[in-house]
Amino acid sequence: MAPALWGRSAIPWKGQNLVKAFRFGQAAAVLTAGALALTACGGNSSVAGTSSADASGSATAAADYSTLSGTVTAGGSSAQANAQAAWSAGFKAQAAKVTINYDKSQGSGGGVTNFISGSYDFAGSDAYLSADQATKAQAVCGTGGAVNLPVYLDGVAIVFNLKGVDKLQLSAGTLAKIFTQQITSWDDAAIKADNPGATLPSTAITTVTRSDGSGTTQNFSNYLHQVAPDVWTAPASNKWPVAGSSAQQGGSGVVNTVKAGDGTIGYADHSAIGDLPAAAIKAGDKYVSFSQDGVTKAITTAVTPAKSTVAGDLGQDIDYTKLTSGDAYPIPLISYDILCTQFKDAAQAKLATAYIDYIVSDQGQKIAAKNAGSAPLPIELADKIRATLKTVS
Amino acid sequence: MPDKPMPDMPMPDKPPAGKPKAATRARPADRVFKFLSTSAAVSIMVILAGVALFLLVRALPAITAGWSTNPELKSGVTGGFASFWAYVSPLAFGTVWASVIALLMATPVAIGIALFISHYSPRRMANFLGYIIDLLAAVPSVVYGLWGILVMRPFLLPMQEWLNAYLGWIPLFSGKVTSTGSSILTGAVVLAVMVLPIITAISREIFLQTPKLHEEAALALGATRWEMIQLSVFPYARSGVVSAVLLGLGRALGETMAVAMIISPAIIASFRIITEGENPQTIASNIALNFPIATGMQRDALIGTGLVLFVISLAVNMLARLIVNVKPRKKPPKKKVPTGDGGRSPAEAAVGAAMVAAVGAGADRDRTSEGGLL
Repeated sequence: MAPALWGRSAIPWKGQNLVKAFRFGQAAAVLTAGALALTACGGNSSVAGTSSADASGSATAAADYSTLSGTVTAGGSSAQANAQAAWSAGFKAQAAKVTINYDKSQGSGGGVTNFISGSYDFAGSDAYLSADQATKAQAVCGTGGAVNLPVYLDGVAIVFNLKGVDKLQLSAGTLAKIFTQQITSWDDAAIKADNPGATLPSTAITTVTRSDGSGTTQNFSNYLHQVAPDVWTAPASNKWPVAGSSAQQGGSGVVNTVKAGDGTIGYADHSAIGDLPAAAIKAGDKYVSFSQDGVTKAITTAVTPAKSTVAGDLGQDIDYTKLTSGDAYPIPLISYDILCTQFKDAAQAKLATAYIDYIVSDQGQKIAAKNAGSAPLPIELADKIRATLKTVS
Repeated sequence: MPDKPMPDMPMPDKPPAGKPKAATRARPADRVFKFLSTSAAVSIMVILAGVALFLLVRALPAITAGWSTNPELKSGVTGGFASFWAYVSPLAFGTVWASVIALLMATPVAIGIALFISHYSPRRMANFLGYIIDLLAAVPSVVYGLWGILVMRPFLLPMQEWLNAYLGWIPLFSGKVTSTGSSILTGAVVLAVMVLPIITAISREIFLQTPKLHEEAALALGATRWEMIQLSVFPYARSGVVSAVLLGLGRALGETMAVAMIISPAIIASFRIITEGENPQTIASNIALNFPIATGMQRDALIGTGLVLFVISLAVNMLARLIVNVKPRKKPPKKKVPTGDGGRSPAEAAVGAAMVAAVGAGADRDRTSEGGLL
């Protein structure tokens, strides 16, 4: 998934796992910590206060973590990075003696690898464990295995930059044709049909994609693969499969290239898009713009539990074709925290579950929505996560 | 340091006959120091061997695996390739290709700067310029990447469109021209700036080491300054400059950040330099871009590409060393030519004679340049 734009604002196009850049990144992270909160608020002001999770579990937010002490070591998905930063700060305010170390430089792959080798208390990952990984996880977790907890919801935004056009509507078929480069100019009949009454210039279309392997690419290509299989024939993949696009590093690289060009269109984690306009995507017979509630609604309607041998596992498959209601955003994405059902050290289990309990609490989800632009978890999903957490020991 | 090294030269050589007694009376401090320096020398070998071993051990499973059947390798970042070699060869091509373009641009400029500093500019300015050039080497590559994205991309875009429109019939400039500027040409320009300080700094040192006698002989015989440089500086510095360029190549091959940030890549072999999304990818930036999301076997595959880069870099460095060592043998014919050929200009003949006179210094001089470089 995309690293959020403002989380790396001093060095926006930087990769996640570069030794050279790494130290620089740490320093920059400190330097930009102040700017971070500010930008985040600006980016999401339009949706602030519309959270649907207001009613959920206020009791859990009041849970007392103050007696806990220790260190939770985790890492993985860079998409969660900003939310994790907000969560660990929020958790620290309630549990002063607990330190949360979340290493976003690992990426989802590294997070899972380190988790399976036993060095992490939990891993952040944009995909739930594959069957193979789940088997490997038993080596460190015992036969109980590991559970995938969907703690972070967001959406893939289709950003564009076209002179004279600030509103754009696209159907899935048109979107697939644009990104497979079958449509090459903005005044194409298919785009006109999606935007009745709009005046579209004949500017050539430049598609901007990710050059690095990414959970955002995985989600977006999965979406196209499901909803427009006749146009988009490639399977879902975390590596962009179509040649000839402008491939850029990181979600922020995509956003900046879209911003710098004319006639550009790209996809990015919604929290990373800044002030770029995003297209409304057709679902059913309505065009739906991104909203945090729209994502929550989409997750409520379109997910089915993934096959798992572990009780309480909450890995979810998204069926994008179900998103036709007109109030659900058609391209949601889920990021997981993965932890063992049976910790080697009971005290560590207590710490990790308390932290994730905080993450899914009303307060935790609100903090993430405010600072990372994520969508709040549906109430029933948050309840399921809590139920699973109770079984972790 | 012109001419200075000559009187100092005998020092690193084996001590003359009288000294072995002193060597046998080694004191504890000597032994400690010898141990420290020996272990430092050994440790570098151990580290290098360790890196090679690590690369080999991690890469082997991915190299030998069936890429079309392995569930991890056939999907995600390594998906769509029949074997490890099908995956790594376009990457190796892209690595070399980007570096070669960069060197083609950087080398003439670097030699020009080095010559200006060593032979043309006033002394005070030379010091200042040398300092500035060294400073270029200290700029982190992330900064070069940002500069490439924010400044060079839009700056070079009109030129690339022009090249495509008017010179598009040349295969180099054919294809669908870039619309954002993220072409391999932009990347190579930034790479060129990054290798500039290396080539300049080494060439400058070598130019400065040209024996004053050679230069003065040429000037005394009426050669212009340019003729003097052609006749005395270039022949003297040739092997050093070649190895400077190869060291620059080594830097360009391993460069990650700037390339990853600027070039819009695809894993293909293509000679087109101004397209978008059809630029061959380099090994280093491919690893950087895909390592975070890669899973176990995919990581092994990426480490395997690292092994290939390791081999390429090793080959380049060995080549540089080989050139430095071979060059002296090429010099004797040069000395013969002016003396035997009456058709040559008097200046060149004089330089030849001067070189014959300085023949004793020849062996030492080559050792210095080699030792200083590699």
